[in-house]
Amino acid sequence: MRTRQPATEQYNPLAVFIEGLSTLFYGMLVTWRNFWRPKVTVRYPYQRKPMPPRYRGLFYLKWNEEKQRLNCVGCTLCAQACPTDVISMVKLGKGTNAGVSEFTMDLGRCLFCNLCVEACPFDAIYMGPAYELASERRDAALFRIADLAQGGEEAVRTNIETVQRLMAEEEKARPAAGGHAG
Amino acid sequence: MSMPVSPEKQSTLSTVDILSQGMVINVGPQHPSTHGVLRLILTLDGEQILHCEPVIGYLHRGLEKMMERRPYRHNVPFTDRLDYLAALSNNLGICQCIERLGGVEVPERAQYIRVLLMELQRIASHLVFLGTFGTDLGATTMFLYAFRERELVLDLLEECTGARLTYNWIRVGGVPDDLPEGFGEKVLGFVKTFRQRLEEYDQLLTRNRIFRSRTQGIGILPKELALAYGTSGPVIRASGMAYDVRKAAPYEVYDRVEFDVPVHEQGDVWARYLVRMEEMRQSIRIIEQVLRDIPDGPVQTKLPKVFKPPAGIAYSRIESPRGELSFMMVSDGSPNPLRVHIRAPSFVNLSVLPSLLEGTKVADLVAILGSIDVVLGEIDR
Amino acid sequence: MIEVVVQFFRDYPLLWTFVKAVVLASFTLLIPLAVIWVERKVAGFIQSRLGPLHVGPQGTFQTVADALKLLLKEDIVPSGADKRFFYIAPYIAFISTVLSFMVLPFAPGWVALEMNVAVLFVIGVSLFNVVSILMAGWSSNNKYSLLGGLRAVAQLLSYEIPMVLSVLAVVFYTGSLSLTGIVEYQVKHGWLIWQPPIMIAALIYFICALAEINRTPFDLPEAESELVSGFNTEYSGMRFAFFFASEFANNFFITAFAAALFFGGWDGPILPPIVWTFLKVFVMIFVFMWVRWTPPRLRIDQILRFAWQFLVPVSLVNLLFAIVLGVR
Repeated sequence: MRTRQPATEQYNPLAVFIEGLSTLFYGMLVTWRNFWRPKVTVRYPYQRKPMPPRYRGLFYLKWNEEKQRLNCVGCTLCAQACPTDVISMVKLGKGTNAGVSEFTMDLGRCLFCNLCVEACPFDAIYMGPAYELASERRDAALFRIADLAQGGEEAVRTNIETVQRLMAEEEKARPAAGGHAG
Repeated sequence: MSMPVSPEKQSTLSTVDILSQGMVINVGPQHPSTHGVLRLILTLDGEQILHCEPVIGYLHRGLEKMMERRPYRHNVPFTDRLDYLAALSNNLGICQCIERLGGVEVPERAQYIRVLLMELQRIASHLVFLGTFGTDLGATTMFLYAFRERELVLDLLEECTGARLTYNWIRVGGVPDDLPEGFGEKVLGFVKTFRQRLEEYDQLLTRNRIFRSRTQGIGILPKELALAYGTSGPVIRASGMAYDVRKAAPYEVYDRVEFDVPVHEQGDVWARYLVRMEEMRQSIRIIEQVLRDIPDGPVQTKLPKVFKPPAGIAYSRIESPRGELSFMMVSDGSPNPLRVHIRAPSFVNLSVLPSLLEGTKVADLVAILGSIDVVLGEIDR
Repeated sequence: MIEVVVQFFRDYPLLWTFVKAVVLASFTLLIPLAVIWVERKVAGFIQSRLGPLHVGPQGTFQTVADALKLLLKEDIVPSGADKRFFYIAPYIAFISTVLSFMVLPFAPGWVALEMNVAVLFVIGVSLFNVVSILMAGWSSNNKYSLLGGLRAVAQLLSYEIPMVLSVLAVVFYTGSLSLTGIVEYQVKHGWLIWQPPIMIAALIYFICALAEINRTPFDLPEAESELVSGFNTEYSGMRFAFFFASEFANNFFITAFAAALFFGGWDGPILPPIVWTFLKVFVMIFVFMWVRWTPPRLRIDQILRFAWQFLVPVSLVNLLFAIVLGVR
């Protein structure tokens, strides 16, 4: 498929020159207008855009102030919904009041696809507005429960205490019920 | 993907071989204007291209095989990485295919939202084309103007979907969430600005004599060849075929909105550029109609936790910004698909490149390649 | 005190020449820093960006920082390169620019070398630039560089001719080959740009100047989307800096040359002459940049056709008019 070069057509250099020059000036009007327009640059490290509420950034585990624990019960539904096996967790206790003692996300392979958030029936995991996740170290992509939980280290400790207390209470209630049946 | 050399071409090649060997030059895989990791092995005689052999596969991730090892709905986020400039189109493609396989109905509002997102995505994708095409031809300023406006679209999409590039906002059976508060007004505001900016692009680039002399009559793709290769999208519409999946096999609510399919007869780089510019205007029309007509209602159909479509085969096609994007899935009744195939429009469109390039100048290479508008993520899969 | 210095240099003219050479060379190295900063700012503003911001006030020292970076970079010579030519090519480009600055009058008496054939001298030494680009392209052992070098030579030689012809129109008008003489003529008789044949000559000069300093729409030698970076693809570090500096110094020179030829050089009211020279130069540099960031680039055959089929005949006819109207 040879490309037909326009050389065969009538070439009037003067007409082309005048057209070229006039359209060039016509285009230069646009660049002139834009020269004086407000600039769109966001001076990033000094200036940040607000993130929209739906922004899918770094995950967080929701802290329930009323119950003094994380909402997560360790049901692994999110882990099952994940296409790339990002999530792993250690369940603490059992039953409806169970919790997690360990919740690790390997964000190095995360697609930020929101499927885990949608899968969660307990409002436990959400994606927040934090977006500066890049690191020079590979292990920095590994986010443990203290990095993810709202409230950090202290929240995790309180969470474990609360869940253990709840488990103990259930444990106390159960033998009585079991004894009654027996 | 090397083309069988026809006898006449062979004769030109051998004539040159006697005179000179022809200079073999590697364009890519790292080159500013191959739009990714495409490699072209060019044989040159001075500035003239005698032969072109595209080499692809530098971005191969085995997506089709990966999809066979995962449940249906886990595959949707992977399609973001196919045509990364139009991730929502890919999402829609695979979701439609799964919906057909499982016989899932999509609520009407969700269909409207899908069309709205699709057209915003088309504008964003065509703006990338416009910008990169401009910078390929040396109009660097066009690049930044186009990306400035693309940023506005991305802001809108970010507000709706929560991501800027890999949206993953189409689900089997609808969309995950309704449009955010006041989204319609923001889109209309953008449309208003964008209309003016389109005029500005015309003034800056379309009417520029230099731009026209760089694009008109270059890389002519005749209708027959375009059909023979199975090209689609703006490439075939610029060659005089009024083929648009949105019209030919309407999906979602495309049969309820009014829009024209821009067609140009010349089949050159200029025509492909014009088709895309016109498509952005048509997308604006569709967006306005969708925002006018969108009904209230649910946006997602409830599906079982473990989604097992009945055994069978499903094929779906949509009009992605680059052309006809199709997904084919085979189900054996298990939670995972038995086989997935993706017909990527860029892959098919790229296959005409060697025949377009022969006999052109090196400088036209970037114009022609840019006008085909390929995305390597989709070609290599 | 000053008399002593003047007398000292009068006694040792060779030393005086040496001082002038050093001043000129450093000027040629330093002026690009300013021009590049202006270029970046103008490009940024045209493209809705802010341009350099962080190094110094409004990013003024960004180019200084970049120059230092280039100084510290590893000097890479591609294997298989023709080393001798590869080494000297950037310096030839640089020297050709320094040589052209030698005869440029900045203000009355502010000229390194008063030469009565300054115009011819400038045309002569600016051709060295072509040689250096060809050397760089050919010796790099890179096919992109080779293509860029060949394109550059074809383009620069084609545009040299109409450029020289348009400059000749000025020469016929003023009857002088000396730049100082031309400017002095304009101080006496008014700027030449208002004479109709010179107006056309100035337009042709402007177009050719765009081609000579490789600006869009004529930036083929380094068309980055096709040829990666053209003839200087393989250059890095200081050698690249020399190419870069000579290109931007050339940009400065070609506008200063135009100012002297068409816009009356240092001529202007109130402000001192040197300020007028720089004012005219920077206004013209701004226009060059404004043009640069607007249109796409032409193709090599279109560029050559434009030069040979349009610019050369028009400038010849224009030269004829200039002779008829100008020679008294």
